[in-house]
Amino acid sequence: MAVAPATLRLIDRGDLLAALDRAATGKVTIISAPAGSGKTSLLRTWAHRLDRQDRLAVVQVQRCQQDAQQFWLALLGAVRHVSGTAGNVERPAATPDFNGRAMVGRVLAALGEHRTFLVIDDLHELQAPGALGQLTELLTSLPPQMHAILATRRDVRLGLHQLRLAGELTEIRAADLRFTEREARELLKASGVALSEAGTALLHRRTEGWAAGLRLAAISLADHPDPERFVAEFSGSDRTVAEYLLAEMLERQPDDVQQLLLRTSLLDRVNGELADLLTGRPGSERILLGLEDANAFVLSLDPERTWFRYHHLFADLLRLELRRRLPEEVPELHRCAAGWFTRQGLPVEAIRHTQAAGDWPGAARLLADHSFSMALDGQTQTIQALLQEFPPGADHPELPLVHATVDLVQGRLDEAAAHLAIAETYVEAAPLDRQRRLDVAIASLKLSLARRRGHFAAVLEQATFLDSPVTGQSDEDIALGGDLRAVALMNLGIVEAWSLALPDAERHLREGAFLARRIGRPYLEVSCLAQLGFASKIRPFATTRRRCREAIDLADRHGWGAEPIVAPALITLAANLIWTGEFDEAERELQRTERALQTDTGPGIRLLMHIGRGMLHAARCRHHEALGEFTAAEQLRSQLEGSHALASQVTGWMLATQARLGMTTEARAFLAGLDAEAASAGEIRNACGVIHLAEGDPAAALPEVAAAADGTAPVIGYVTVVESHLLAGLAHRQLGDQRAANQAVERALGLAEPDRLVLPFVMTGSGEMLEALPRHETAHAALLADILDVTRGSSLAARDGSAPPQTEDLSPTELRVLRYLPTNMSRSEIAGELSVSVNTVNTHVRSIYAKLRVRDRSAAVQRARELRLLAAGRRS
Amino acid sequence: MDPAPARYAIRIHGHLGATVLSAFPALVPHWNGADTVLTGRLDRSALYGVLAEIEALGLELVEVRQVTQRRGSPGSGDARFL
Repeated sequence: MAVAPATLRLIDRGDLLAALDRAATGKVTIISAPAGSGKTSLLRTWAHRLDRQDRLAVVQVQRCQQDAQQFWLALLGAVRHVSGTAGNVERPAATPDFNGRAMVGRVLAALGEHRTFLVIDDLHELQAPGALGQLTELLTSLPPQMHAILATRRDVRLGLHQLRLAGELTEIRAADLRFTEREARELLKASGVALSEAGTALLHRRTEGWAAGLRLAAISLADHPDPERFVAEFSGSDRTVAEYLLAEMLERQPDDVQQLLLRTSLLDRVNGELADLLTGRPGSERILLGLEDANAFVLSLDPERTWFRYHHLFADLLRLELRRRLPEEVPELHRCAAGWFTRQGLPVEAIRHTQAAGDWPGAARLLADHSFSMALDGQTQTIQALLQEFPPGADHPELPLVHATVDLVQGRLDEAAAHLAIAETYVEAAPLDRQRRLDVAIASLKLSLARRRGHFAAVLEQATFLDSPVTGQSDEDIALGGDLRAVALMNLGIVEAWSLALPDAERHLREGAFLARRIGRPYLEVSCLAQLGFASKIRPFATTRRRCREAIDLADRHGWGAEPIVAPALITLAANLIWTGEFDEAERELQRTERALQTDTGPGIRLLMHIGRGMLHAARCRHHEALGEFTAAEQLRSQLEGSHALASQVTGWMLATQARLGMTTEARAFLAGLDAEAASAGEIRNACGVIHLAEGDPAAALPEVAAAADGTAPVIGYVTVVESHLLAGLAHRQLGDQRAANQAVERALGLAEPDRLVLPFVMTGSGEMLEALPRHETAHAALLADILDVTRGSSLAARDGSAPPQTEDLSPTELRVLRYLPTNMSRSEIAGELSVSVNTVNTHVRSIYAKLRVRDRSAAVQRARELRLLAAGRRS
Repeated sequence: MDPAPARYAIRIHGHLGATVLSAFPALVPHWNGADTVLTGRLDRSALYGVLAEIEALGLELVEVRQVTQRRGSPGSGDARFL
C-alpha cells in the first residue's frame, strides 16, 4: 500500500472508520475477509485521516512468502523508516542466516516514542515456518503507543486469545465490510455513474455489497451508454460476479489497455518501460497512471508512481484470462520480462521469470552467474529458494557451483568441496564470455573453503595473485576483480589471524573492509570488520573491544546483528569481557554468538565458541562443564588442517582443568602424546605446573611455570605469563614461602593492571592467596579489590555498558587520589605517596565525594567500583 | 490421513465461466441451479490447492463433499455447458 495519490477516489465509509478508530485504543485489529472485500481500500481511506504526528508503518506480505527473513526485514525496515531510527543506513538486507525471535526484539527496539500504527496487509500470504509464532510474540508485547492492524483473506493461526480476553483485540469480518446501499450509491456517484435508485438497489443486491463487484461495475458503468440495461442484464445472469464484471470491464476498455492488463498480469510489479516491452507499444505509463486514478484495481508502489501492482484478485483473474486467450504467448512474455530484469541488474526476478518460462537451462545459467555475487550480499536464503524451484531429478551442470556456494556459507565443508570439484570440471568447458565470471566465483569459493578447513598454506598460496596489479578490460572484469580481491584479502587476513601473524592480519582485513566498502559490498565489509575484531586480540583490550563493537554496530545498523558473519566479533568481545571479570555481560554476548551461529557449523568458529563457554565455566569454578567445553574445542582443533593460533591455549586449559578435577592420570597420558614442539609451549608448561601442584609436588611445578615467565617458552600472549606468575605463587605458598608467593602475585598484578585482567586469578584458584596479600604491600589495590570481588563470587559490572554516567567526570589528579581510597592508607600517607600536602588531598577527596554524590570513603569506593573508575587501565 | 485420491464434488455459488474454469483444469464442471459443481479425483494436496484457488478468485464456496464411485461418471446426465 503506497502513499495514495490525492486524485484517488475513496469512499468515506464512516461507520467502518469509526470502528477502526475505536479498535485503535486496543493493541490489535484483525480484518479478516475474502478477496475483494475492500480491506486494502478501507485501510487506505483510514490512513488518510491519521493525525500528522501519528506514524504509519505498512508492510505488504509478498505472495506465498515462505521466507521469514524477507518478511521481518520488510517489517523492520518499515518501522525504522517511520520512527526515524533508520538514519543514513540502507534498508536491512538479507543474510544467509537469520533469527526471527531476535527480529521481534529489534522491531520493538526500533519503535519511537510517537503513536505508531503498524499495518500488515495480506497476512494470509505469510507461509514461512515459525513466522506466525514470531508475529504473535511481537503482537502480544506491543508497547502502548503501538497499534497493529492485520488484513487477511482468511483467519490465520495467531495465539491472541490473551489479547481477546483483555479486550485488546478487535475483529472486523466480511459482513462488516459489505457496502451498504447508501455506500454503493456514493461509490457510483464518485465514479461518475448516473444510475437510478432502483438500478442501484438492483446492483447492490446482485453484488451483495461485495466491494470488488461494485467497483468493477462502476468502471464498466462509468461511460456506459445505457447503465440501466447493463445492471438489468447483469442481475439476470447467473455468472459469478467477479468473472462477469471483469469480462464486461475488459470488453469496454480500449484494445491497448486490454493488452496491457493481460500481458503484464504475470508480473508481481510493473512499470511503464517494462509494460511497453511486453505490449510492444509505447505509452504504458500513462495508461497505468490513468487506471490508478480511475480506481481500477491498480496501485502505485512508490510515491513517484513509477512502479505499480494489481490487486491480487484482479491479477489472478487477468492471469487466467491471459492463459485462456493467449496461451502460446505466456512463455515468451516471461522470457521477455526475464531479459528486462537481467539488463536492469535484478537477477532474482530475472531467474524467477526464466523458471516460469520453463527455460530451466537458462535459469540454471543465470543462477550460476549470480549466486556468488548474491552470496557476497548475504542472500543465501534467496539462492536456496530459487534452487528449490528446479524440477527434481533434472541435472543441470551449472547448479553444483550454486550448491557449493550455499554449502560453504552453512559450513557443510565436505559437500561444498564435492560440489566445487564438479563445478570446476564444468567451467573449463564453459564459453569464454562466462568463464572469467565463473572462474572468479570458483577461485573465491576455494579460498574460503581452504580457510574454513584451516588449510592455511593453501590460502596463502592461492592468494599470491594479490601482489599482481589489477588487470581487466571491461567494467565487468574490474568489478569481478574487486570482488575477488576483497574476498581474498578477507580470507588471507583470517588465516593470518589464526596463525598469529596478527599485524599482517589486521592490515589485510582493514584493506579488505576498505575495498568492500568501495565496491559496494557492505556484507563483506561487516565480515572483514568482524574478523578484524578477532585479529585485534593482542591489542590493548580497549582497542579490541572498540573494534568488535564497531563491527557489531555496523552489522546491527544493517540488520545483520544476529548473523554468522558477526560471530567473530561477538565471540572476541565475549572472551575479552571474561578476561576482565565482566561475566554477566560476557554471558549475554556468548548467547548472542550462539544465536548467530545457529546455521553455521564451520569448525573454526565453533572452536572459538567452545573456548569462550569453557572460559566462562572455568571463571565460575564449574570445572566439569569447563572441561566438557575445552575437550570439545580440543576435538575440533584436531580436525582442522594445519596448526592453530589458540592450539596450545586449548590443550593447556583442557589439561589444567583435568588436573584441577583430580584427573591427573588422564592429563599425563595426553601430555605424553604431544610432540616436543607442542609440549614446549608456555601454555602447556603452565598446565604441567598445574598437574604437579595437583599431585602435591610444588617443587616440580616451579621450573615448569618459570619457562613462560622468564621467556624461555613461547607464549600466545602476556596472559600466559600472568598465569605462570600466579602458579609460581601457588607453588611457593604450598612450600610455605609466603614472601615469594606475595612477590609472584605482585608481578602478576603488575602485568594484569593495564588491561585489568581478572580471569587468570580466578581460573588458577588464587583467591586465598590474594586474600593473604597485605593490602599496603601492593601497588595495585584497586585491581586487587576488583579481583577479590570476583573470586568471592560476583560479576563485575560492564564498564562501557549500562553504568549510569550520572556523575561528573573526575579530574586526572582526583582519579589518582581516588585509587588510594580502597587501601588502608591515611590521607597523610596518601599525601606522602603523591608528594602533595594533606590539604590538597583533603580538597581532592571532598571534590571526589561531591562528584560521586557520596558522604564517606567506603561509599566512594563502592560507587567508584560501580562506575569502573578504580582500575588504572581505564581510559576515559 | 488418507493418502489415496478420492472423488470430490465442490459446489460454488454462481455459474463459472470459461476464464475462471481454466483455473480448475483437473475438474469437470456442471451447473446445478444457480451453482456450479466441480467434480474430480483429487488427493489431499490437490484438494487444498483447489480450495486455495477458490479463495484467491473470490468465489463463494458452498459445499465440499467426498462422493462414492457408485454415482457413476461425473456430470453424466447433467447438461454440460462447455
